[in-house]
Amino acid sequence: MGDAPLVEVEDLHVRFHTRTGVVEAVRGLSFSLGREKLGVVGESGSGKSMTGRAILGLVPPPGEVTAARLAFAGQDLLRLDDAGMRAIRGRRISMVLQDPKFSLNPVMRVGDQVAEAYRQHHRANRTDARARAIAMLEQVRIRDARRVYDLHPHEVSGGMGQRIMIAMMLIPEPDVIIADEPTSALDVTVQMQVLAILDDLVTQRGMGLVFISHDLALVGSFCDRVVVMYGGRAMETLAARDLAGASHPYTRGLLSCLPSLDKPVAALPTLVRDPAWMGR
Amino acid sequence: MSAIRAEGLDVRFGDIHAVRGASFAVAEGESFGIVGESGSGKSTVLRALAGLNPGWTGRIEIRGEAQGRRRTRAFHAAVQMVFQDPFGSLHPRHTVDRALAEPLAIQATGDAEARIERALAEVQLGPGFRFRYPHQLSGGQRQRVAIARALVLEPRILLLDEPTSALDVSIQAEVLNLLAELRRRRGLTYVLVSHNLAVVGHMCERIAVMNAGRIVEELDAASLRAGTPREAYTRQLLAASRGYDRAAAAGFRSFD
Repeated sequence: MGDAPLVEVEDLHVRFHTRTGVVEAVRGLSFSLGREKLGVVGESGSGKSMTGRAILGLVPPPGEVTAARLAFAGQDLLRLDDAGMRAIRGRRISMVLQDPKFSLNPVMRVGDQVAEAYRQHHRANRTDARARAIAMLEQVRIRDARRVYDLHPHEVSGGMGQRIMIAMMLIPEPDVIIADEPTSALDVTVQMQVLAILDDLVTQRGMGLVFISHDLALVGSFCDRVVVMYGGRAMETLAARDLAGASHPYTRGLLSCLPSLDKPVAALPTLVRDPAWMGR
Repeated sequence: MSAIRAEGLDVRFGDIHAVRGASFAVAEGESFGIVGESGSGKSTVLRALAGLNPGWTGRIEIRGEAQGRRRTRAFHAAVQMVFQDPFGSLHPRHTVDRALAEPLAIQATGDAEARIERALAEVQLGPGFRFRYPHQLSGGQRQRVAIARALVLEPRILLLDEPTSALDVSIQAEVLNLLAELRRRRGLTYVLVSHNLAVVGHMCERIAVMNAGRIVEELDAASLRAGTPREAYTRQLLAASRGYDRAAAAGFRSFD
């Protein structure tokens, strides 16, 4: 496919019609994703999670998704029927969610959940799927994968649970992973280890990664490019290494209001929100 | 005389030994930080200080007075706590006014009216917020109410358990500035517990680093910023807090 974008998003809108009026979660967002790590950053309510869900057709009702273009590998996602979408969801684009405590099935062995993800998308008998699941668990650097295979979610730590989630999402060999705050529930050191695994696998397999996070500093150090969102819109899109020199006042405001170990200040600068950012 | 002194503090929950022989002292007017990862025992230390964990052994002194299992009314007038989750720490069916009036009624202070107005003004919430319910407030406003509730008794010591980790970073900056300003104005003593090294480094003069129930190291903010902690555990925590670095992540090890 060369350098053609994996995901194209143009003028995306996500709306919720409620009794008190229309809530617009995403308002005219455009970006494209190649074989890269793209960070989508914003505070709560910025529409970053809804953007990830819209790509996978997972916006809950009564949410309404419209876009000038929403495409994966040249296919128009808005025109696909349910069966077509199911062929993409999980197999070609998969999603890692924030907290393994809530996204793993509590009454099923974790290894079987990984094997099931494989069998859902590939013809394989149980023995094959089990062997593949164990190999995948080893790839996310779980030591003693055979023993871990038989554990239930409550028997594994948060960091291991998230590595199992990543194994489950990677085993169908998708082209794109959407990771929504994949490490926010983890301690910092575990967070860095899980990110290193994600980084290696995404790079080795040449996948595209959409990394949704509230943590601008983390995204700046982990991703290749960053989309900064506010009020459902992209304030700016820039290379992660240029983040320190960002031009948009919102991005600059977000960066400067973080306490820093390197630059101690008496009082933190606070963010002054400009109504113009909402485009009104 | 120290505002707070803990010596050989031990907390057990059944077979789990959550805090193992923690000792530290906090001077009057000082801001003392406790950092650590989940399960390190940092919040348990704070809850033991506040009298919320009855099952501790060792010695706790507040302003020179040894504390027992049960705390006196005077203790609660002098020591107040702010919790992490402003969604869970305010009663959903009590107005801001009622939340603030309750500690005053318990302490039978009298002048409730004036104190509530003063506390709300101090956290920069106008009188319009006084008769609102928690669901009518944003996360940052709720945390301001929680701080106002702690301040309404005019305590000397505030125990802060991850006071900004449920908030967006822009709101975090406002709440941290508010806390710093209140300490300056009132000469308060803080014990701030957080998993975030940058927050603790910003707010505190001295910092205790906890791992697996022990205080592994106590250092001042300057040596934390300079990146010269004594313990390997602290150095690793510091490296992880500075953002993603593939090479650094490869060298991380477990300190259990």
